[in-house]
Amino acid sequence: MQPLANVTPLKPPPRAGAIEVRNVGQVFRTRSQDVVALEDVSLDIKPGRFVVLVGPSGCGKSTLLMMMAGLRAQTSGTITINGAPIAQPDPNRVGVVFQEASLFPWLTAEDNVEFPLALRGVAKAERRAKAQDALKLVGLEGFGKRHPHELSGGMKQRVSIARGLVQDPPVLLMDEPFAALDEQTRMTMGDELLRIWAATGKTVVFVTHSLTEAVYLADEVIVMSPRPGRIVDQLQVNLPRPRTYEMLSGDAFGALRDRIWRHIRKSA
Amino acid sequence: MSAKTLRHLIVVGLLVLWELLPRAGLIPELFLPSLSSTLLAGWNEAAEYGHALAVTLYEVAVSMAFACGGGILLGAIVGSLPRPRLLIMPMVSSLYAVPLVILYPVFTVWLGIGSESKIAFASIYGFLPTMLATAAGIQTIDPQLLLAARSMGATLSQRLVRVIIPAAIPTVLSGLRIGGALVIVGVVVSEMLISSAGIGYLISRYRTILDSPHVFAGVLLVLFMAIAFNTAIRWVERKAAIWQTGTRAGQGAADEVGSGTMQPAT
Repeated sequence: MQPLANVTPLKPPPRAGAIEVRNVGQVFRTRSQDVVALEDVSLDIKPGRFVVLVGPSGCGKSTLLMMMAGLRAQTSGTITINGAPIAQPDPNRVGVVFQEASLFPWLTAEDNVEFPLALRGVAKAERRAKAQDALKLVGLEGFGKRHPHELSGGMKQRVSIARGLVQDPPVLLMDEPFAALDEQTRMTMGDELLRIWAATGKTVVFVTHSLTEAVYLADEVIVMSPRPGRIVDQLQVNLPRPRTYEMLSGDAFGALRDRIWRHIRKSA
Repeated sequence: MSAKTLRHLIVVGLLVLWELLPRAGLIPELFLPSLSSTLLAGWNEAAEYGHALAVTLYEVAVSMAFACGGGILLGAIVGSLPRPRLLIMPMVSSLYAVPLVILYPVFTVWLGIGSESKIAFASIYGFLPTMLATAAGIQTIDPQLLLAARSMGATLSQRLVRVIIPAAIPTVLSGLRIGGALVIVGVVVSEMLISSAGIGYLISRYRTILDSPHVFAGVLLVLFMAIAFNTAIRWVERKAAIWQTGTRAGQGAADEVGSGTMQPAT
């Protein structure tokens, strides 16, 4: 769907951020046996969607995310992002946010955000400007000179998100990013993430254990079952946006959460 | 009174006792010459001590370069690759328990009684703890940091330079502290055993003629050398460890932020 006129080659194509997972399988070989972590997983994620992966421990949702990030090779099948296969980490297409903020403790917040740019030899001034923009986007303007140990858990994850976004990739992959945070911070960070997502239009794939968090954030929830990891359900979450705290106690919200829970109880 | 002033008072007190006890005749001058006579002995033979200090410092510097350079290099290899680790670590660990000074006479046979044998001995002596600490430091790097770097497209050499080395610095420094101290011990001890120059040699020679003030002047010099080394390492550690988590300053700042005195609160 390329528009015929006004094509500016510097802008990403309009379909940037599409993820296609085709018949992906993952087998871990141990000394005694082969463990099938993922079996025949296929998934289509449209650009700009907020997709959440849920499932009991060991269902391979993090493994799937790591494969989308190019951090782990699948045993079979293909994964494409922007229409091209992903075989190794490509920060221009994919930003990753991990559960632990995994910031480099010896660098300041802004140096952490600049890190991926520094790897590619971007000039200092440009790096600094981009890092400032990213920190501003995540609400951390003025905190750039601090080291990670001088930041709270939520702020560290904000820096981590800024680092994932600094190269402006169309896709942001998040592996249980708020799991280590306390309940209140987690709620606030959810709202913050939705704000950032709305402002940037990224495709987000988000892994979580929390069903409430899943329904609250998602356009679409993918439910997976363990051993071997498979997709057992795909739910469209048609709650209006912006999402509000009041929706959590609504019937529509409860029905979606119950449906996910029934799947998980069955397989766990 | 602060702990620091108290510490200084204790040191001053000891120095005063060192002066007074021998003078009052409570301790024979042969066992412990007074501080002033020790300093005077050193001052009178300043040229001799200066020359000896130069020899010792030279040996220490060269050994330190070998011990630390080799220790860090081999420690990095052993720490990051499992196969060499399996081969080398058990050997190194048991070697660590052997009193290596038994090798020194062999070194004098091979290398003579000049500086070379001291450098060889002290290098090996200081090498082991440096290598063990470096290996441990590299093994204990948070794998999450390496994964994050990889997700940002860091190549192997970029991961080494930008992640592994900075992450390992604190543990490596604590290895250097022990390794460096052992290098000084190694040099002085080997000079005392079989030698023709250096502070250890002077101490040992004056001892045989029962000249206590001159012995103690040498001891003082070694003491100053060790203190200077310790101060230098501490300074480097402070410079390098600013970022280390769990420091009280860092904790305080995090609490301050967490309690909502700063925005944003999360």
